[in-house]
Amino acid sequence: MKVVIVDYGMGNVRSVASALKFLNVDSIISSEEKDLNKADKLILPGVGAFGSAMEMVKARGLDVALCEQVIQRKKPVLGICLGMQLLGVSSDEGGGTEGLGFVDGCVGIFNDEYVIIPHIGFNQVTPKSSSRLYRGMGHSLDFYFVHSHKMDSNSDIGQSYCDYNGNFVASFERDNIAGTQFHPELSKTNGLDVLKNFLELF
Amino acid sequence: MLRKRIIFTLIYEDGFFNQSRNFRLQKVGNIRWLEMNYHFQDIAFSLDEIVVLNASKGDKNLKDFASMLNRLVDNVFIPIAAGGGINSVADAEVLFENGADKIVLNSALYEKPNMVRDIVRHYGKQSVVGSVDYINQDVFIKNGVQKIDIPLDSYIKNLESMNVGEIYLNSIEQDGTGFGYDIDTIQRISSIIKMPLIVAGGAGNEKHLLEAISLENVDAVATANLFNFIGDGLPNARKYLIEKHCNLVQSV
Amino acid sequence: MNKKEVFWCKSCLNMSTRNRISFDEKGNCNACQWRDEKQSMDWRPRQKELVDLLDKFRSTNGNFDCIVPVSGGKDGSYVAHQLKHKYGMNPLTITVKPALSLEIGDQNLSNFIQSGFNHIHISCNPLVLDRLNKYGFIEKGFPYYGWLIAITTAVIKMAVNFKIPLIFYGENGEVEYGGCTQNKDKGLYDLEYMKRVYLEGGHDKVLDRIKADSDISDADLSFFQFPEQEILAEVGVSFTHWSYYESWDSYRNYVVAKEKCGLIEKDEGNSDTFTNFAQNDQALYSLHAYLMYLKFGFGRATQDAGIEIRRGAMTRDQAINLVKMYDNAYPEELIETFTTYYQMTNDEFDAVLDKYANKNLFEKRGRVWLPKFDVAQDFSYEEFL
Repeated sequence: MKVVIVDYGMGNVRSVASALKFLNVDSIISSEEKDLNKADKLILPGVGAFGSAMEMVKARGLDVALCEQVIQRKKPVLGICLGMQLLGVSSDEGGGTEGLGFVDGCVGIFNDEYVIIPHIGFNQVTPKSSSRLYRGMGHSLDFYFVHSHKMDSNSDIGQSYCDYNGNFVASFERDNIAGTQFHPELSKTNGLDVLKNFLELF
Repeated sequence: MLRKRIIFTLIYEDGFFNQSRNFRLQKVGNIRWLEMNYHFQDIAFSLDEIVVLNASKGDKNLKDFASMLNRLVDNVFIPIAAGGGINSVADAEVLFENGADKIVLNSALYEKPNMVRDIVRHYGKQSVVGSVDYINQDVFIKNGVQKIDIPLDSYIKNLESMNVGEIYLNSIEQDGTGFGYDIDTIQRISSIIKMPLIVAGGAGNEKHLLEAISLENVDAVATANLFNFIGDGLPNARKYLIEKHCNLVQSV
Repeated sequence: MNKKEVFWCKSCLNMSTRNRISFDEKGNCNACQWRDEKQSMDWRPRQKELVDLLDKFRSTNGNFDCIVPVSGGKDGSYVAHQLKHKYGMNPLTITVKPALSLEIGDQNLSNFIQSGFNHIHISCNPLVLDRLNKYGFIEKGFPYYGWLIAITTAVIKMAVNFKIPLIFYGENGEVEYGGCTQNKDKGLYDLEYMKRVYLEGGHDKVLDRIKADSDISDADLSFFQFPEQEILAEVGVSFTHWSYYESWDSYRNYVVAKEKCGLIEKDEGNSDTFTNFAQNDQALYSLHAYLMYLKFGFGRATQDAGIEIRRGAMTRDQAINLVKMYDNAYPEELIETFTTYYQMTNDEFDAVLDKYANKNLFEKRGRVWLPKFDVAQDFSYEEFL
């Protein structure tokens, strides 16, 4: 199986590559269209600001390339953290930025009146019952989150929630498109299991 | 419900990991020693995060540090925060590229606020940990060598407005003594800020970890005590804290 | 056949094999019992004893009024510093130069003197010292026996010559770390105790051996002989331990010595323990510690662990990990230094180690002695009579 970790200059690609290696999966880190073409699965990581990230993605023509791979060719993609947010419609960060629009979800900032932001640390996700990402795992699972913005959605995008003064989308999965707000590569065994499920069931 | 965290801090200097006692470093072993005696791949499951600090004096040799970091993160599936001598956005980038999930800034918070702002802007505030070394009301930078003119409480309030993601509060006086954290200062500081707080300095055993982690506004406890927690020290400490009903990730 | 039990203190990791150690019914060694006592007792009477003692001996004419044997390490430095600056005494500090002194030890001694002390540095005739060390190594398994004698005898000689009646040692190691508790509640003690406990009654035997050597005369042994009882009585030399008057805390000593007397640590640490701020004056200490390990089953790390446990900086379980890591430390990197020093071959050297290894505790595999026991796992063995 060939996995490409999409490199757009933001995101700790090393940890993801390391996790995949642990799971005995070959991966390369690339932004080249020819590599994305040959991939069986894609991972879109991300750390940082939504606006900067979209700029970098567009600068490399990755918005077009990803649309081709994910929407046209239905290649499985897993967005992680900011990468997951980029797959959504928009973010209100920096006055409003458009995302890739692959799933119907919108990103906004946590309300710091009730909780401390950033949301940093391990928190529990309640898996949706039909979920593939959490198949074979339990009902309340700890994963590592580190973010100030969160995704909400009014549609059914196969989302599983985490509660941080109110539910927010901890992960979504719809057909070939999946995303986790948490970092599976930093979430010990639970994280590795989610990665494994993505690789095997998408 | 957001969990609290147990963090292990590694103090790196010129190829060796060190035991620190009131900021005096004793070489303990290189990465091979660490791998042999700490089995970090396994130990990492008893931890929630690792912090790695480059305490090398003079030329910090970022390249060597980054290369060590690279090797360390292999097969470690928890977040790693790395720092020490970050002098530019490019330095931060090198660490991110080599396995850091977050970076730790200390002297730069005082000396290069513009750089800090740039890093936060580019990588997001959640990627930046602001580290503060202190004795009583005095704040020190540059590995505890230079005292600055801003008292501790004001300095920390200021960091909040600089938009760093978390505070790593380190007591120089308690450091390496094994006598426990500086609970009084921790309680005071934790009540004046509204951001994640990691406390460090003085932990000798699991009881100390318990004492600090039980405080309402403490989000994470860190220890750099290589000797005390060697072997099965960390897994045992975690088990103890869970038995005492601390809000920690349990089964992994 | 005789069944012998070997067990570890329930609080620290002292072993029942340690000479003169005693345990209470709960299995706590006398060092741990003393630690508890130290914490709860009222020190004021002993403080008063100290003040009275010092008032009695304090010089009024500028002469030295007490002697503090020092090595440049944390303990002697602390005691000397307190006597001078807190109690207004006029200490004469004395060092007997060890064989194979370490650079860091020399530096620490120099820093200590520089911090403002009067000091005498005694060099015993190295030819004699080295011979005595060698005999001590072979006959008693004490690698620096000559020096051990001299730090008592030569110091007493100075006391007699300068007419200084009070010699202040640091801690009573038997009480603080495990051993004879005879002098636990005694401030001042006598020469007989020193000979019996510190020199383990071997002083005369080793001196007799060396006197048999044709090239050594009585005159050569001047620094190694005790003055006659009458001369001692004339000056009235008393010995005392600082640890009797003030709760002994070797980490506190380290911090004070660091701040006030310029003590530096060994950056690169040690191979046989986890501390870097103690016993840094001479290379033979590692050999001494290793012989202790072979004879009794515990090494330098066990001792240091005991100190850390008793001062509350580490738990017993944590210490077990460290002892397992560090105790069995054959001083590989120093073997050549030792064989050159003793003028022995490697085989002769190893034969001495073999002689002192307790075969009930260790077995030899290849060139190495390995413990037959697990740290902190009490066990028993059959001793053949």
